[in-house]
Amino acid sequence: MVNKLIVSNVLHRPIRTAVSVLAVAIEVAMVILVVGLCHGLVNDSARRVEGVGADILVRPPGASFMLGLGEAPMPTKIGERLAELPRVLAVAPAIIHVNNAESVDLIYGIDMSSYNAVSGGFVYLSGGPFQSPYDVLVDDIYANAHHTKVGATMNLLNHDFKVAGIVEHGKGARRFIPLTTMQDLTASQDKATTFFVKCTDPAYAEQVTDAFKTLLPGYTIYPIKEYMALMTSNNIPGLNYFITVMIALAVGIGFLVIFLSMYTTITERTREIGILKSLGASKAYIILVILREATLLTAVGIIAGFIGALILRKVMGGVFPTLPVEITWDWRLYAACLALLGSILGSFYPALRAAQLDPVDALAYE
Amino acid sequence: MEPIISVKSLVKTYRLGKVDVPALRGVDLVVQEGEFVAVVGPSGCGKSTLLHILGGLTGPSEGQVCIDGNDFRLMTDADRTRFRRHKIGFVFQRFNLLPTLSARDNIAIAQHIQGNGFNPHRFEAITRMLGIDKKLNHRPFALSGGEQQRVAIARAVICEPKILLADEPTGNLDTENSQVVLDMLRELNRTFRQTILMITHNPEAAGIANRIIRMRDGRIISD
Repeated sequence: MVNKLIVSNVLHRPIRTAVSVLAVAIEVAMVILVVGLCHGLVNDSARRVEGVGADILVRPPGASFMLGLGEAPMPTKIGERLAELPRVLAVAPAIIHVNNAESVDLIYGIDMSSYNAVSGGFVYLSGGPFQSPYDVLVDDIYANAHHTKVGATMNLLNHDFKVAGIVEHGKGARRFIPLTTMQDLTASQDKATTFFVKCTDPAYAEQVTDAFKTLLPGYTIYPIKEYMALMTSNNIPGLNYFITVMIALAVGIGFLVIFLSMYTTITERTREIGILKSLGASKAYIILVILREATLLTAVGIIAGFIGALILRKVMGGVFPTLPVEITWDWRLYAACLALLGSILGSFYPALRAAQLDPVDALAYE
Repeated sequence: MEPIISVKSLVKTYRLGKVDVPALRGVDLVVQEGEFVAVVGPSGCGKSTLLHILGGLTGPSEGQVCIDGNDFRLMTDADRTRFRRHKIGFVFQRFNLLPTLSARDNIAIAQHIQGNGFNPHRFEAITRMLGIDKKLNHRPFALSGGEQQRVAIARAVICEPKILLADEPTGNLDTENSQVVLDMLRELNRTFRQTILMITHNPEAAGIANRIIRMRDGRIISD
């Protein structure tokens, strides 16, 4: 019976219902998409580094675990010394440059032969390896996003580069240029910012890491498993704060809209609450009716938010293919719980106010 | 036999801002079970306040109110709500049906709030007696005033209350519908020995009661 009353009330005020559902849907979709985008970017970046195929990363002293963030270059000769150590199969020096000309992305300057030795080589979807110092390789996602074809030119580091090949994505950056060219353009001759190291067997990674640390005290050296464990949003400076602020904003919107919606409802339905009280409805009964109505609106909003988030992810994937959005069941559940909590808190005061209405005044309400 | 309503020296004073407004100034009243009592008097004489106090919608300022053995002085607000749920049925001048529910659900919600479950036998008997059994799927806006008031009566008596309190039940009805509603109330009183206390301005309406109480300035002036 209470369900009938709630459903009929919700259907009786379609605009209020639509606005409340929309607000909750925006809240849920915002939480899912913001978190999904942050996690998607971090995880995609980590997966691409893992995709290089290295077992160990060697970086300068004091370097951030995030590739490309403010490290001083190391002499490439270090790589030659590392390659001489036992159980080391290959060492690929690279300069990882943060390009923020169009959007923030990483460009790898690579030595093709050693990078192939570590990664097993690129899979070319069209074109082929570098033919000249100002050639660039792009991955298929970048090519699709920018409608880039082999032979096209693009400006990198204030120089025109010709696209020599389009490679399958997943091996580090989305764009690669020859290491020597990168060294010239960044005034880092015979330097590298990262060494990708391949062991003769991945099982030796920790053992070789220890040997590297003895040889290069103070350098930042990670087995790839440790690097992958570090690449989470919890370890990215400020990212968790950003996510928390965005979630708080989204929950705040949901809370306020539900609060206003239910508060208005209580005012509109003062007489109806008086009627229920005249029939002997207790305070708890009135509170539950209001809370259940808010919960129904929220539940519909949550479903709409899920659907909206999936649609927006699809749209974003089409418009910005390089921005991966990972929608996980965990965060769907969190977003739903947050929306529910926000709406229960938002409707609690109006519910309490309704329960405390004087029945005589409520019945006389015009 | 103990009276179903026993009121002694009942005083009710409302406070409007800093001004005390006396609504009842010492009312004594005894009603036996099965009586049909009409309370008449001019506007502002305290009729509605008396009805609200007897129904437990508001508490007295002073005096003793004892309904079916329940002394209001000893009852909290929650106790009075529980008491109202089980022992009182209200009929209002403005029908006061829930606009989003059908007639059937408006009646059934009283049973739901009472918590004793749906009693189909009584439901059928009441709705047939009140002549609304063919209108149960209609919402209030699709019913005439007379039909709405009969739905309100059905809602008020569906849980077999000890007392039916009717506040100007014919005040919003034309003569024909007023007569139908009054006939229904009299029928309820005769068939089910339903105790009814009805407030009215209308002398003809009061005429159907077994007993007429006149009020003025917060006091009973004749009984």
